[in-house]
Amino acid sequence: MNPKIECRNISKVFIQKGKQRVHVLEDISLEVMHNEFLVILGPGQSGKTTLLRIIAGLETPTSGQVLVDGKEVTGPGQDRGLVFQSYMLFFWRTVMGNVEIGLKLRGVDKKKRREIAQHYINLVGLQGFEKHYPHQLSGGMKQRVGIARAYANNPEIMLLDEPFGQLDAQTRMFMEKETERIWQTEKKTVIFVTNNIDEAIYLGDRIVTLKDKLPGRMDAIYDVPLPRPREHTDLEFVKLRQEITDRSELVL
Amino acid sequence: MERSVANEVVKHVKEKKPWTVGRVLTNEYFLYVVSFFTFLIVWHYIAAAGLLGLATPEATLKEMVRLMSVRLAGKNLFGHAWASSRRIIIGFAIGAAAGLPLGLLMGLNKYINSIVKPVFDLFKPMPPIAWISISILWFGIGEPSKIFIIVIGSFVPCVLNAYSGIRIIDPELYDVIRVLGGNRRQEIFYVSFPAALPALFAGVQISMSVAWTCVLAAELVSSRSGLGWIIIRGMKLTKPELVLGGMAAIAVVAWLFSVAASGLEKVLCPWKRGIKEL
Amino acid sequence: MAYEEVKVKEPIRFKLLSIMSLLAFFGIWEFIVDAGIVPRTMLAAPSQVVVLFIKKLTQANPDGATLGAHAWMSAKEAVTAYVLAIIVGVPLGLFMGWFKVVRGIFRPIFEMIRPIPPIAWIPLCIFWFGIGIWGKVYIIWIAGIVPFTINSWVGVNMTDPALIQMARTYGATDWQIFTKLCVPSALPMIFGALQISLAYCWTNLVGAELLAADKGLGFLIEMGRRLAMPEMVVLGMVCVGIGGALIGVVVDKLEKRLLAGIRR
Repeated sequence: MNPKIECRNISKVFIQKGKQRVHVLEDISLEVMHNEFLVILGPGQSGKTTLLRIIAGLETPTSGQVLVDGKEVTGPGQDRGLVFQSYMLFFWRTVMGNVEIGLKLRGVDKKKRREIAQHYINLVGLQGFEKHYPHQLSGGMKQRVGIARAYANNPEIMLLDEPFGQLDAQTRMFMEKETERIWQTEKKTVIFVTNNIDEAIYLGDRIVTLKDKLPGRMDAIYDVPLPRPREHTDLEFVKLRQEITDRSELVL
Repeated sequence: MERSVANEVVKHVKEKKPWTVGRVLTNEYFLYVVSFFTFLIVWHYIAAAGLLGLATPEATLKEMVRLMSVRLAGKNLFGHAWASSRRIIIGFAIGAAAGLPLGLLMGLNKYINSIVKPVFDLFKPMPPIAWISISILWFGIGEPSKIFIIVIGSFVPCVLNAYSGIRIIDPELYDVIRVLGGNRRQEIFYVSFPAALPALFAGVQISMSVAWTCVLAAELVSSRSGLGWIIIRGMKLTKPELVLGGMAAIAVVAWLFSVAASGLEKVLCPWKRGIKEL
Repeated sequence: MAYEEVKVKEPIRFKLLSIMSLLAFFGIWEFIVDAGIVPRTMLAAPSQVVVLFIKKLTQANPDGATLGAHAWMSAKEAVTAYVLAIIVGVPLGLFMGWFKVVRGIFRPIFEMIRPIPPIAWIPLCIFWFGIGIWGKVYIIWIAGIVPFTINSWVGVNMTDPALIQMARTYGATDWQIFTKLCVPSALPMIFGALQISLAYCWTNLVGAELLAADKGLGFLIEMGRRLAMPEMVVLGMVCVGIGGALIGVVVDKLEKRLLAGIRR
């Protein structure tokens, strides 16, 4: 079977503040299979966000190319949904307004739009909060909206950029469980970026690690054959965790 | 009220404390009342003693009540308040109608910005009141010259705030629209405009207070109606109660305008209702 | 090494557009006056303004003072009132932010006076101070004090409550918390008021001088109108604009330096 997403030798060079040249990514090649949950694991400042933005089509790679279903990505599109680290909710819209925005952009009529949006609001467990504005919600709830917004647009691929990086440990664990539940309810091809090893092993079918310095380079690929739902204290889980930690220079 | 999603709870509670003598005496609202009446009493005695050429608060109030029914130069107090307000409304409407779109365009388009900005920057540091004299040269001493000054006065803050309102938008918000499959036009309609709206309102509020300064200055320089004219009239007749009454009327009307502006903001920007005001 | 310094050329066409736009502006202005499209009694050409500017540097006629004397007068009034506004407004705002009793006493008076445009005080000022410098200083002071008071007040209110609680657990008194915690944390807001207040001051200075003065840039503008000399009106406006921009630049530099001072 052909891969759903294919990255071929991607490199990216940024010009920062008008005069600093930063080499962010170098020679990244990876393949993501249909309905696979791939986690990209790397420390801060390893170019993971940039990689995700390139796959989303928001940035163009300096060299190399991204293929989705064998076709080259030239810009953002409805087939790829992105969940932002800093939520990026429209603060002037209610939860409902945020979730239905993608459908609205495509001119879906109001009744249909509401129906679909409501489905995804329920899916992320936010029923009863449709009329709330983002500033009235907690961090975890905001990211639920972010996930529902991306899902409601019915993309084939979900890209999540450190979605729980701003949450406390408790909420984070909870949201990881929720993510797994949502993913298993409606299967998509997922690329999930994180700097947290536990999160990576808990969620990923496969984990790609990046080296810890710019420019970001591929380090290793791990298969995670553990059955779901996984337990953090499971022996296999801990073993894999140890293996990744030993191999990478990740600071914990 | 309590609502929860899984492990997260949203709670609304009200706090109640018992009343004690000490708390009443240091209570802010109690002090407000004390302060207000002290102010009036001090004012009364200064005026009654014939110091500072003031009229007593009660004389001022009486004069204001009298002016509500008695006509001065063909208009009662409400007539004059309306004369001033009308100038502001017309001038402000023109200034905002020209300034807000221009500012938005400058924020959205680099070419328009690099053409308009340098010329705009020439006029920006010039206080609108400085235009009064040339406005009289251009339009005479009638209504148009007064309205022109208010147009200038509200135009500048409207442009500035619309421009910076667009500029401070987090560029990632545009990415949301792009990722969802929206085009440039949709970015502008669904992100730029609503996200800039609070800044537009800040501009409107600044414009409003500038407009009041402008209309007063214009009326003080030359006019036959308006609240500024009442003040000048009071000065010429050496009737301090007329001067103070005029000032009080201005304060009330200007305050009503700002209340109306923030009321409108609450209607148009409902998401700001819950955010604690500063 | 990941970071290297490179030089990137800014696209020159935006600068070019700006310069062309300015040239066009002055060109059209000169043209419509010279060609008589706008009568000379209504508008003066830029060249006339420059000529008058050079003349007014040394000549006191016909309005009674040289340009330097007018500008000096305005600057003196503005700076005096501005400094007085800082001296009174900042402590008032700080105290109102922290001490409930002070807030209770001053807030109603402050709120009553605030909506009155400072210009409206002119008749009372003329009565109290005549048309000398102090009447105008009073009006400008009223204009300038409002932003300082409000920003200091808000600044104190924005002090991190966690810091205040921390200070309380260490046994700090109210006064210590106020001076050691609230005041420093309000400083950025207070510096923010420097620019806003200046703009108010400068606007009201012109207003006050138009109406009650015998010297100053606002007076120069008004005399230009009375003498039907549009070039003098425009000259006055230009000087007010340049003066405002100059003081603005100075205050901006000052603000940046002060802010850098706290961040260090």
